[in-house]
Order: sequence, then structure tokens, then C-alpha cells
Amino acid sequence: MTSPLISLNNIRQKYSDRIVLSIDSFDIAPGSIVGLAGPNGSGKSTLLRLLAFLEPPANGTISFMGRPTFAKPNAVHREVTLLVQEPYLLKRSVFANVAYGLKIRNKNDIPGKVNRALEIVGLDPDVFCKRQWFELSGGERQRVALAARLVLKPKMLLMDEPTASLDEKSSTLIRQAALSAREEYGASLVIASHDMAWLKAVSDCIVHLEKGNIIDTVCPSPEK
Amino acid sequence: MDYLLQGFLQGFVLLFTGNAETYSAIWATVGASTLSMAASLLIGVPLGFLLGYRKFPGKKIVRTLVDTLLSFPTVVIGLLVYAFLTRHGPLGGSGLLFTIPGVAIGQTLLGLPIIIAMTSTAVEALDKRLPMTLITLGANSRQMMWATVIEARYSIMLAAMAAYGRIVSEVGISMLVGGNIKWHTRTITTAIALETGKGEFAMGIALGMVLLTVALLVNIFAVGLKKRAVQ
Repeated sequence: MTSPLISLNNIRQKYSDRIVLSIDSFDIAPGSIVGLAGPNGSGKSTLLRLLAFLEPPANGTISFMGRPTFAKPNAVHREVTLLVQEPYLLKRSVFANVAYGLKIRNKNDIPGKVNRALEIVGLDPDVFCKRQWFELSGGERQRVALAARLVLKPKMLLMDEPTASLDEKSSTLIRQAALSAREEYGASLVIASHDMAWLKAVSDCIVHLEKGNIIDTVCPSPEK
Repeated sequence: MDYLLQGFLQGFVLLFTGNAETYSAIWATVGASTLSMAASLLIGVPLGFLLGYRKFPGKKIVRTLVDTLLSFPTVVIGLLVYAFLTRHGPLGGSGLLFTIPGVAIGQTLLGLPIIIAMTSTAVEALDKRLPMTLITLGANSRQMMWATVIEARYSIMLAAMAAYGRIVSEVGISMLVGGNIKWHTRTITTAIALETGKGEFAMGIALGMVLLTVALLVNIFAVGLKKRAVQ
């Protein structure tokens, strides 16, 4: 049995003394795609923030590749990335946005990697590379932000409502791009969404949350 | 009204025939303002960034102090700098009184609060999603700080424009610290004050037109920067 990529144990998260998330045990296997479903306030975004190591839990431990985290968070942040519903784009060109993570890692062949990432999310590099951040539609912004994360080939890609307020074409492109992350380099994905049809189409298992607790985990038959 | 019209015409003649006295004042202004802007930006941007980016005890007090210094009268700054640079002052041996670098010191004190206040406001006003975005893209603390400066660049340039506008148009510091010495420390504004006092409107108008042109250019840049800063 493969060891989990991320493992949560006895996690309690509190905001102003109010428990917003309570998970006894939750593992994410390498290369798996996990959907998070549940009503607003069920704890999906909080769980994603914990999985992204953006905040430490009030209680409990989170291990990444078998090691407890938050001692060297930057090392983990280079392997785990998060795409939110309304991502922030740096005030730069599309190329500079997608290239940012590569530059700070001193990677080589940046133009080739940026072009490839843009193609994966359905944006023509010749058309979009030179565009500025303010020249993009909502769907294009979302796809540029996804490209900026896919280009890093993270071990784990977290997505919070990635298709909310997007048209069908953009949703399909985001789904295909997300699947390609697993197919091409074995990334694990955790996706929170209200769109159950979209979530079922993309996930191996769907975890249902309610009032900060996992109430159900459903793993539909693999027919994608 | 004739004397005004004549003043304008003579002003154009002075500018376009390269009148030495007029251009001496222009170059003195360019020299002092360049030095003071360089110093204001080198000191003010890092301080303003830290004030906006970091949380520390007494931050509100520092902020209030900086905001108060925004309305520091130029003659008072001139007086203080004069007191420090005069022969009996603490920096009397530096020989900076009645020199362009001396004027630049005073103008730096004028520009610094503007740069610090506007830079810190710009950094505080950045989108709250920026830190999380940078973290999730793998940036370390140093890379995050630098990226934050870059994100605030249009607002920082706007701060520089505002400081330049104030520095280039001040009279009190140039008059007190520079001494309005012909061919040496006479700047555009002190020359205007002197020539107008003498009833010589032509040079005053010529130099006034240079100042207005500078103000116009600064505003044109500022409009473009404001647009970029809020996008």
C-alpha cells in the first residue's frame, strides 16, 4: 500500500473559539483526485487552506510525505499549490504571471514551459503571452492562474470552486487541464465545488462535508 | 496688462535664446531636485514599504508622525537645516550651507514624508489575495517582499511624482539653505521671487513657464500611473 501524500490526524480548526473543522483522519494518496462537496460553511475552503499549509491547525497534525509540516513551510509550498475561485494575477503580462513560480525556482527553459502550460489550459501562447493582466476575461484569468500552477508540476494541486462563474467551455478546459496534471506527472488533486456533475466527472472519490465534519466519502466507479 | 504680455514675450525670448542666467536657475533646480529625489526614494521607499508591510509596536504613532510631517512648512524645514549647517551648528564643518547639496538635504526632508506615507498606503492597499498567491506559488519571505514592491510600483511612482511636484516648487528651503546666490544656488522659485520683487517679470514668467511645463508633465504621467495602480 502506498503511503499517503498528505495525512491529517485529529485536526480541529477554530476561528474565534468556534470550531469550523473537525477531522479525525483524512489521507490523500499520491495521484488521486478527491472532490470536496458540501454546502457553504461546511468547511471545504478551511480544509483546502490547511492542505495548502496556509494556516496551522488549532489542534492535530498534518504530515506531508510522511513528515510533519510547518517546520519548513516554504519547502512544502513549492510542492503544494492552491487555485482559488477568484485568483489574483500579478500586475504583469500573462507570460510573467505563468513564469513567476519558475523564475523564483531558477528553472531553465522558462519560455517553453510557459507555452506548454498555456496550451494545456487552452490559451494560444502567441496570442496571450504578451497580454497584460487587465486585458483578460474572467475565464481567461482563471486559466492563466491555473497555467501558473500547472507549470510548477506540483505534487498536489488544490482547487477551490475553480469553475464557479465560468462558461461551459472554460469549465471543460479547466477539467481537462486538471486531469492532465495527474496523467502527465502524477499530481494529486483536491477540488472543492458545488457543481456535483463536474465534480463526479473529474474525481476518484467525493468527500462530503457538513458543519466542519466529514459525513460521507463516495468513490464512484472509474468511468472517466 | 501690457507689461504682462511683454513679460510673456520676453520670457519666451529668454528661454529660446538660451539666456545664461535663466538656464543657470533651471540647472540649479534640476541639480537640487535630482539629488533630493534620489535620496528621498532610496530612504523613503524602504521605510514606507516596512511601514505598510510589517506590523510592529508603535506603528500607529509612526504613521501619525509621518502624516504630520506631510504638512511641514518649507520655511521651517529650511530653518532647521540652516541651523544644522550654519558655522555654529552641529554640521557646520560640512561646508554644505549655501550649496546645492545643502538645498537637496532640506528638500529630501520635504520629500521623505510624502514618499513614506504614499508608499506605505500603497502597500497596505494591495489586494489581500496577494500574500496567499505568492505563498502558494512557492515564494519565500524575501521573494514575497520584492514581489510586493513590484506590485505597488505604479503607486510608488505616483508617490515620486507627488514628491517631485512639491520639491521642485518649494521656495523656503532653497531661499534659506541655498541663499539664492546668483550662478550658484539660485533656483527657479527663488529667482522668480527675486525678479518679481525687482519688478522684472520677464525672467519670472520664463521660469514660471518651465515650472508649469514640469507640473503638466508630472500630471500627465500621474494620470497614467493612477490608472495602472487601480487596475
